[in-house]
Amino acid sequence: QSFKLLGFLDVKNVPCARESVLYGSLGSFVMGLGHFLATSRVRRSCDVAVGGFICTMLGYWFYCRYNLAQQRIRQRMLKEGMKNRIFFEGTYLDPEKKQTGSERSDS
Amino acid sequence: MANRSQLGFQDASSPIMEELVQFHDHALMVALAICSLVLYLLTIMLTEKLSSSTVDAQEIELVWTILPAIVLIMLALPSLQILYMMDEINEPDLTLKAIGHQWYWSYEYTDFKDLMFDSYMIPTADLPLGHFRLLEVDHRVVVPMESPVRVIVTADDVLHSWAVPSLGVKTDAIPGRLNQTSFVANRPGVFYGQCSEICGANHSFMPIVVESAPLANFESWSSLLSSQ
Repeated sequence: QSFKLLGFLDVKNVPCARESVLYGSLGSFVMGLGHFLATSRVRRSCDVAVGGFICTMLGYWFYCRYNLAQQRIRQRMLKEGMKNRIFFEGTYLDPEKKQTGSERSDS
Repeated sequence: MANRSQLGFQDASSPIMEELVQFHDHALMVALAICSLVLYLLTIMLTEKLSSSTVDAQEIELVWTILPAIVLIMLALPSLQILYMMDEINEPDLTLKAIGHQWYWSYEYTDFKDLMFDSYMIPTADLPLGHFRLLEVDHRVVVPMESPVRVIVTADDVLHSWAVPSLGVKTDAIPGRLNQTSFVANRPGVFYGQCSEICGANHSFMPIVVESAPLANFESWSSLLSSQ
């Protein structure tokens, strides 16, 4: 099942989308309300709220996607490392064997 | 394959397709931000009286020049990154030729042995229960998983297009021309695609099925087919 904002953004299945929209809404509310309480200008506060929504949403989106990209790279490296460990175990290319070998030579 | 009434992408089965899906999500988030702004501005315009005593608007002109430029850069940079990633020169383990005909595909594996076969759609009347209508073929393209595969696409008669959405591949098959594409299937599975260039009456009935299998299974399949 999917829930699509404005008919196209699937916030349930796209990573970081749900949090971005929720944080954006919170940021919009806080900034809009704060501006109104400070200035009592309704129209300008609405403008600030919309601007705050866009900036907070995009800001959290970039932050979350950057972390997600780093996590995916780490996952790929881990997967490759596990595959190589199984592949080379017991052979002269086994990195664990090289480590224990160097420890023995040191002692 | 796509489910009934599916609008979004199929699950990615290659690293390039994963990147394309990520970029698509990123582009849609930017689109959501822009649409929200436009909707808000429309609402403002429709609820206020039209009056303007503005003669000079340097600041707003600056804002609505620089902001769209920033948005375009935010979209262009990852797009170019993926574009160049798709064209990276890798050393493929296997070269496969896909030739489009009216109305079937033929495949040639000529790296090690001369292995060639035709791939016709299984008609609905002959389809076993539980199989996918208009997508199943009599001979699937089998490729080893997690190995770069080069596909050379051409056609024998009219324009066709060899497309497998979950692998992120779509290449036109043009008579007299060899087009090259490559992919890496990063998991075992069966991936469906359909001809993507109008080619006559049975254009919708010449599907493509790629089966990704471990290398040992691929080797036994190719030996079996070569011996027949």
